[in-house]
Amino acid sequence: MEHIIVIGGGGAGAALAHDLTLRGFEVSLFEKGDLLSGTTGRHHGLLHSGARYAVHDRAAAVECVEENNILRRIAPQALEQNDGLFVAISPDDEAYGKTLLDACLASGIEAKKLSATQARKLEPALTPEVRVALQVPDATIDAWRLAMHFFATARQNGARLHPFCEVQWIDTRAGRVTGVEILNYKTRKTSIVKGDLVVNAAGAWAGRVAALAGINVPVQPGPGVLVAVEGRVTNMVINRMRPAGEGDIIVPQRGLSVLGTSLWLTDDPDDVTLPKKHITRIIENCSLMVPAVGGAPVRSVWSAARPLIRDAEASSPQQISRTFECYDHKDTHGVEGIVSLLGGKATTVRAMAEKTADLICRKTGHKIACRTRTTPLLSWRRFYAVGAEDGP
Amino acid sequence: MKKKIRLKIRRHRPESKTPPSFETFTLTIDADISILDALEMIQSAQEPTLMFRRSCHHSSCGTCGMLINGEERLACVTRISQFKGGTITLEPLPGFPLLGDLAVDMAPLYKDIDERWNYLRGAEDLGGKKLPEGIKRFERFENCIECGCCVSACPVAGEGKPFMGPAALAALNTELQKTTGKGARALLKQAGGERGERLCNRALACSRVCPTAVYPARHILDLRTRLRGDGQGP
Repeated sequence: MEHIIVIGGGGAGAALAHDLTLRGFEVSLFEKGDLLSGTTGRHHGLLHSGARYAVHDRAAAVECVEENNILRRIAPQALEQNDGLFVAISPDDEAYGKTLLDACLASGIEAKKLSATQARKLEPALTPEVRVALQVPDATIDAWRLAMHFFATARQNGARLHPFCEVQWIDTRAGRVTGVEILNYKTRKTSIVKGDLVVNAAGAWAGRVAALAGINVPVQPGPGVLVAVEGRVTNMVINRMRPAGEGDIIVPQRGLSVLGTSLWLTDDPDDVTLPKKHITRIIENCSLMVPAVGGAPVRSVWSAARPLIRDAEASSPQQISRTFECYDHKDTHGVEGIVSLLGGKATTVRAMAEKTADLICRKTGHKIACRTRTTPLLSWRRFYAVGAEDGP
Repeated sequence: MKKKIRLKIRRHRPESKTPPSFETFTLTIDADISILDALEMIQSAQEPTLMFRRSCHHSSCGTCGMLINGEERLACVTRISQFKGGTITLEPLPGFPLLGDLAVDMAPLYKDIDERWNYLRGAEDLGGKKLPEGIKRFERFENCIECGCCVSACPVAGEGKPFMGPAALAALNTELQKTTGKGARALLKQAGGERGERLCNRALACSRVCPTAVYPARHILDLRTRLRGDGQGP
């Protein structure tokens, strides 16, 4: 079968390597850092029910609810499946709740309305100010372990995974992409790897990778700050019942509570700025929902660059859709042999991979059905049992 | 407040056949940033091919364990302000095969951690009076993030003895608490085997360096007590 070169060892690359190997393709994946060293591991760890997007981004909401159900079945060891609450703490929140409930139900999200008393019986750490709540099927993800499930399974099925190998050049001299030049950080040597098709799955870094083939892609890095505080004070994910904004979510995970998030736009996905104002506002806003997180010691503060798709018409960064697209650059730029996968989010990586692998099947003339919806993933621990070194 | 610091980093790529050396990088930073933030700044502005592992940035993934001024720690939750003096030394975790610079191969850690061992357990009681509809019990991940700090710090593992090591024994004891009957007997047999708890000499370095309060030495003591009770101990 054709040899597919995947550039980018994040969640998208992991899910794609898994899907492609299941369909019988030969896969080589290159990542300039360690696997999952970019955005994937750094997200807040929310398995979206879709409710966060139901009102303003229906497409993303529908993708989330479907993938949420699939991931619960194929990778249960990577999830704390305790559901989530949207909580109203102001009259405006409560009014938004009616719109939210309708939008959830219209998107296929099982949302249930709870009184303040019912909500506080489930989660006593909620503020006494809570007015009404919605229960939704959110869950907590171990961001690294979920993606490592995909890598472990892909590797078991023959994918060759190459961390610490940077793609420095994409060969388009033949009028189509024929391979890539790799700098292997371990050996400090460069080499050419030939392939039948290249997939740019570099997430927030996709613009840099596409540029190696002389292609412009509409990726827009959108970082956000996250704050982990000591103490697990709720078991359910707690969301603010209002339009998406700063400091509207608390994700419990192990003995921590992860508070999120903010959003700004940048051209540099490596920008690791941590604006102090964002940190303060996130903690303040989250403690309106759960007062205990306000005084808790801060374990860590970090930022992660979302791989947004540029959208000049969005009225604010929050309004940019979180859906994904794959682009065949034969259609966009007249360059055969390269595909870019842009946008998306951790909850939907499997669907992103399915759509991309479907496109690869069409391009290579194969009719092979996707099997990732029902194939249980192997444990992240299997990754290490398969062996440390992958051949060239 | 800005502060000038030096990170003295051990550089070595075993596959490139160059001898190990230390390289010092100078940075002007906010003192409350983490060692990991500083490494990322070096990588983006000074040395893009610096090799280190990182993912979650908040002590959940377990990838950024390293020796920081000689002690096993996670780079993501170790702040520069914790250290007096202007130079901080970074080295890879001893006891694991070196991939390059600060990055090591974690495969040996997983040798004795069975992939079927359940990574979830019932969550702590937070005073809730009811469970949500559809939820049978609140669950959470285990505290051990498999970072390898305990294995690296263990003097027995460091002597090259064929010890399962503290991470595997802690994981085994955690699984034992969720297991009964034949499964439990098999786990105890494994813990009491030649590579098991008998090799632990109670140095307690594992518990001292554990960044997520697993306290592996307590698990090993539990196993030792239980094995002696079962008449299977040494």
